[in-house]
Amino acid sequence: MASCWRRITSLPVASLLRSSSIGLTRAAAVPHLYRCQSNTATTETKPTVRPVNAVCQSQLQEFGAYIVENLPKYVQRVEVSHGDELEIMICPDGIVPVLSFLKDHHSAQFTNIVDICGVDIPTRENRFEIVYHLRSLRYSSVVRVKTYTDELTPIDSCCSVFAGANWYEREIFDMFGVFFSNHPDLRRILTDYGFEGHPFRKDFPVSGYVEVRYDDEAKRVVIEPLELAQEFRKFDLHSPWEMFPAFAERNQNVAAVDQQEPKADEKK
Amino acid sequence: MAAVVIKKTTGLTGLAVHRNPHHVLTVLYNKILRSLGKIPQDAPYRCNTEQIVKERFQHVKTELDPVKLEQKIGCGQLEEVIKQAENELLLSRQMAHWKPWEPLLKEAPKNQWKWPI
Repeated sequence: MASCWRRITSLPVASLLRSSSIGLTRAAAVPHLYRCQSNTATTETKPTVRPVNAVCQSQLQEFGAYIVENLPKYVQRVEVSHGDELEIMICPDGIVPVLSFLKDHHSAQFTNIVDICGVDIPTRENRFEIVYHLRSLRYSSVVRVKTYTDELTPIDSCCSVFAGANWYEREIFDMFGVFFSNHPDLRRILTDYGFEGHPFRKDFPVSGYVEVRYDDEAKRVVIEPLELAQEFRKFDLHSPWEMFPAFAERNQNVAAVDQQEPKADEKK
Repeated sequence: MAAVVIKKTTGLTGLAVHRNPHHVLTVLYNKILRSLGKIPQDAPYRCNTEQIVKERFQHVKTELDPVKLEQKIGCGQLEEVIKQAENELLLSRQMAHWKPWEPLLKEAPKNQWKWPI
């Protein structure tokens, strides 16, 4: 149980195409039960690690399979990561259909959009990941929908599905420079007037491009290109995560799952 | 109809008590089934949705007491069930247009979903 949080259960799409009519079932009470049990357990070696709930996990896997079965056109991959977090990876064309399905279908009912966020990984072919977090109050469940895009390709806005997505998409547009087509009002939302660049991109300098100061002679605030009086000192900027062996181990686990996938496909 | 218990509120903001839920649900479920009829018969979305809707429709036909009907459907108050049926109706109409039962549109680029890189 100690290593559960590291395990990623990957569900290859091909093996999920089986007939099942199971949606989410109500299990709101089960996680609390489980939490109580973990407090009293004495065998736990890493008490800070969240224990995995097998019931919840299997339900999420079934629900992931159900989504793949219903929407094979758009879903590329489904994962249950960190024990109880369902992630649905879709192709960018399927944003509106998949989100509408999750919102309107009887056995999903994810009517609440919690957040939309972006991830920038410059070495990838499509450097931006857009992640939608949805919550179903009916089934007390959360799902994460992921898709990808690059700097130039616009992706579909989901404002027609969730009105609350309006500002979240503006935020992504502001911070990452991702364009959303059919957005009713795509403007900057967080940065200052006349700001240039997209601060959450990895190639945006920590210091920014301009500095703002009050000029006593001009009697106003002036914006000037940044001048650093002292050269930036060289820092060793390794990722802070690399010093944690637990993270490295998880890395190996994921690779192992990926390698096994094609074999499972061949059998079918 | 004198013995009908009058419900004052659903307890949910913006959701008014419905006078005749059976009638509305019958209309909605008929509409959903008709709209699902336009989808190919082997499409999983059609099969799954038809199963859910037909089961609920059966309850609506047989059970005349609203409170017992709510218990049988087991998905909240009848007003909520109506809301769900409305959503499903809109979805099923759009699904006929999107055709999500077709094979995968586009494979993900290599290493797109691999993390950490």
